[in-house]
Amino acid sequence: MNRTLNAFIKKELAQTLRDPRMRVILFVLPMVQMTLFGFAISTEIKRLKLAVFHDPGDRAARQLTERFYSADWFLRVEPEGDDPLRLVRSGRADAALVIPAEGLTRSLARREATVQLILDASNATKARVAESYVSKILATARRGPEPPGPFQLDVRVLYNPTMESSVFLVPGVMSMILCLVTIILTSMSMSKEKERGTFEMIISAPLENWEILLGKTVPFVLIGMLDTVLILLAGTLLFDVPVRGELWKLLLAAFVFVVTTVTIGILISTISKNQQQSMLGSFLFVFPATLMSGIMFPVENMPKTIIVVAYLNPLKYFVTLLRNILLKGGDPWVLWSNIGVLLLMAVATTALSFRRFHQTLN
Amino acid sequence: MELTVRFGDFTAVDRLSFAVERGEIFGFLGANGAGKTTAIRTLCGLLRPTHGSARVAGLGYEDGGRALKGRVGYMSQRFTLYDDLTVDENMSFAAGLRKLSPEVLARRTEELFEFIGLTAPRNTLVRHLAGGIKQELALAAAILHDPEILFLDEPTSGVSPVARIRFWKLIRNLTEKGKTVIVTTHYMDEAEQCGRIALMRSGRLIALDSPAELKERTFPEPLLELDAQGRDPDDFLNTLRRNPGVIDVQPYGSRHHVTVRSSSEEAVLSSVPAGMSLRRIPPSLEDVFLRLVEGKDR
Amino acid sequence: MISFKFSRARSIALKEIRHILRDPFTVALALGLPFILVIFFGYAIDFDMKDIRLTCVDFDQSRASRQLTEIFSESGYFKIGFPERPDLFLQELDQEKTAGVLIVKPDFGKTLSSPGQTAKVQLLLDGADNSKTSAILSYLPGIQRAAAARLTGLKRQEPVKLRTRFLFNPELNSRWFVVPGLATVLIGLISILLTALTVAREWENGSMELLLSTPVRPLEIIVGKILPYVALGLGGVLFVYLAARIGFRVPFHGSHALFIAACLMFIMAGLSQGLLISVVTRQQQLAMQLSMISGLLPSLLLSGFIFPIESMPVFFHYFTAILPPRWFMVIARGIFLKGAGIGELIGPLAALLVMDIVLMTAATKRFKKDLEP
Repeated sequence: MNRTLNAFIKKELAQTLRDPRMRVILFVLPMVQMTLFGFAISTEIKRLKLAVFHDPGDRAARQLTERFYSADWFLRVEPEGDDPLRLVRSGRADAALVIPAEGLTRSLARREATVQLILDASNATKARVAESYVSKILATARRGPEPPGPFQLDVRVLYNPTMESSVFLVPGVMSMILCLVTIILTSMSMSKEKERGTFEMIISAPLENWEILLGKTVPFVLIGMLDTVLILLAGTLLFDVPVRGELWKLLLAAFVFVVTTVTIGILISTISKNQQQSMLGSFLFVFPATLMSGIMFPVENMPKTIIVVAYLNPLKYFVTLLRNILLKGGDPWVLWSNIGVLLLMAVATTALSFRRFHQTLN
Repeated sequence: MELTVRFGDFTAVDRLSFAVERGEIFGFLGANGAGKTTAIRTLCGLLRPTHGSARVAGLGYEDGGRALKGRVGYMSQRFTLYDDLTVDENMSFAAGLRKLSPEVLARRTEELFEFIGLTAPRNTLVRHLAGGIKQELALAAAILHDPEILFLDEPTSGVSPVARIRFWKLIRNLTEKGKTVIVTTHYMDEAEQCGRIALMRSGRLIALDSPAELKERTFPEPLLELDAQGRDPDDFLNTLRRNPGVIDVQPYGSRHHVTVRSSSEEAVLSSVPAGMSLRRIPPSLEDVFLRLVEGKDR
Repeated sequence: MISFKFSRARSIALKEIRHILRDPFTVALALGLPFILVIFFGYAIDFDMKDIRLTCVDFDQSRASRQLTEIFSESGYFKIGFPERPDLFLQELDQEKTAGVLIVKPDFGKTLSSPGQTAKVQLLLDGADNSKTSAILSYLPGIQRAAAARLTGLKRQEPVKLRTRFLFNPELNSRWFVVPGLATVLIGLISILLTALTVAREWENGSMELLLSTPVRPLEIIVGKILPYVALGLGGVLFVYLAARIGFRVPFHGSHALFIAACLMFIMAGLSQGLLISVVTRQQQLAMQLSMISGLLPSLLLSGFIFPIESMPVFFHYFTAILPPRWFMVIARGIFLKGAGIGELIGPLAALLVMDIVLMTAATKRFKKDLEP
């Protein structure tokens, strides 16, 4: 193999892996983060603070109240005072349910039972979900079993019947961590050489542009792949995320993604004059990328003009790939189309790096 | 080999033209900001000239300077080895840049480590080496591929005097072997050791000659040094300045250098007040530099 | 006994200001970036799902089945499509082309009109996207009711009617929730980045050593370095505030004075964290990596921005307490949407204050005067 390439690989690996702080950041922290975030985040809404106001003598109401707290959805909050509005306003409760003073049983009998629900709607999603929980439980307040209606919607949830949000989120977190690590690893590499002065030594030798650029890319792809394996292991082992697709699909997808992010990092460092600009560039890429990866918000909901930007985000494609391979076995169409897009991005950024990279100091 | 050069770069190097012979130690002398580093970097292909051209070892920069870079070694003013790598790793990287085979690398590192007298173990991190050794190591890395021509930019900056002497011994060694060395410096004593010196100021070449010639040409008249020896020389200096036989009076550290017409030399020498000493001295490069730089000002 | 001379801190601050002014990137970063990103993402993010694609495989093709699909479409939440190849409808789920498949059996219409029988329609949902799925599930009861009513002409009686009053955000505008959260994340992260790089850079190019050779004390250096960035951070807050109020019409019910005070504390926390990072790493590259790692993901994922803290395992209720954005999130949302005052926010405010003190102390202590690398 090309001697210069070899030399670059050895040098970058030696420099990167020698510093124990770097080793921690590259290998330990991602695992730690994987663990932390994987366990922490979920999209399930639960443990909402609910206070139920009812006449103390109303036995039916009391039974209903217990039903509210029996699942994980609501936490008990004592109904203090007689102003449910104040309770929610103060933040001591997320929701307050007011059962008519005449008693639940009598209201039901009159077929005009109206129950008031006061919700803290600052988080609109949470409020909607809370409302749907409450109405579900209220529906059980009728006496006697529910006669089947003439029409019923029979719902089955595929791929993730238990609706574990970790199955959904973990691939997303994995991609975010991987993206972050590779970008910050590579985006400063070229500018660091320029700032230190070692860039001069490199360009004083008769080298082709591709030798230098490739020499900076390959070592980080190697490190990135190592990280990928670690993160994948952590993600799948710790979180019961199924691995329904073949391993080679996973590794191929990860490889293409790592190559793409590394080339983006190299591009950033090529066009930056110093490390501070590199940092700005990385931030400008990573922040929108993580927000628009589809993990945190639905990308399809975004206005059409903005969706275009989302389509330029490599993270989005990798998340799709990961989810599809892990949960659905890796459908060929999905696999190759997404990998194709990522490859296209890698090629485009590499071409751009080539154009902007000059072996001169001015 | 004759290097023909017409070279111009407005801001830093202003229409610089010169030629260097093979086997020479050619020095660029000048204050900081005079344009020496820019000149060197352009010659090595690290900078693009705005106007003009250069040929080094008969080669130009048409192919991006690749052929040229293969025949040339460069050592930058800033320390250019990686201080988070070991000695061996740095050499190995430099060899990789030049595509040297492992056997050549092994042989050359043996030779070079002996040449510079490296005693530290080869797996030491460069960061832990002393300043002088680091510079010599950088030199070794620069000549790893045995180039005919070597460009050294202020190679002894920040290095102890003893190490400086050692370093210049190495440079002379190289030229004895037939290499051409082009070096920049702002140390006068180093400039003395060059075959020829190009004096630069504000990007312009203001003189080009061997040290001896420079001194002769700049100081055809006798140069006297006044040592006031603790007394106040002002009166005497004023007298001298009014003396038509005195061409120039320059402060020189705590002393003064007086240029006189040879015809007036005797008279001036005998006019020195008691307790001070006035004697003839051979002109130094420093004098030359001051005269020429001052000359430009006037 | 620490002798603290404000004059020395002030001269350091002045020098820092001059540096900043000469460096357009820092100013752009602090002022422009949060503004642009808040506008961009405030506009982009919308939690209300609409036009969710469902594929309907209609084996009945009767008037009833058509009415059913109309009900789905009319709700605005769904967009009904038909499979390209009826026998391969499941593949569309695999291929991410649809979020769910609605299967209408051939005898649907007939069963509906037969009394006492329940006509069932199967809906297969792609559970991979958990939040989409739960959104769909939350829309279904309404659809079921509407479908039952229209298809059979009967109106079901709800045992208990629920009258809901949504406080603070009666229109359920998800942007009101997202924008203050976004602002929190951005300002927090940028505060960290601002200081992390600057001090690390001075270590790298040696000017820190120069500074330390003077009689200046570490605390003075720290105060001097942080002050100009506080001003910059507040500038960024101002722009974000304008974007939120004017661009997205997020209401502001609380006290501006309290908000500014809280902003100050939050920015200080970020700046101190950045300073601590730069003092510890002394290298720009490591400083940036550590800032991004400790700043970006935790702030996005663990601060309560999108993923509610109550839904996290109990361990995290305590763990997230060490994240300044978590507290400021509560404060920002409280002040903007709920008009919360010091009384309600005393907890988060105190937490921020504690964090400020802890981080500043840690940074000062760690600021070793010895010059080992």
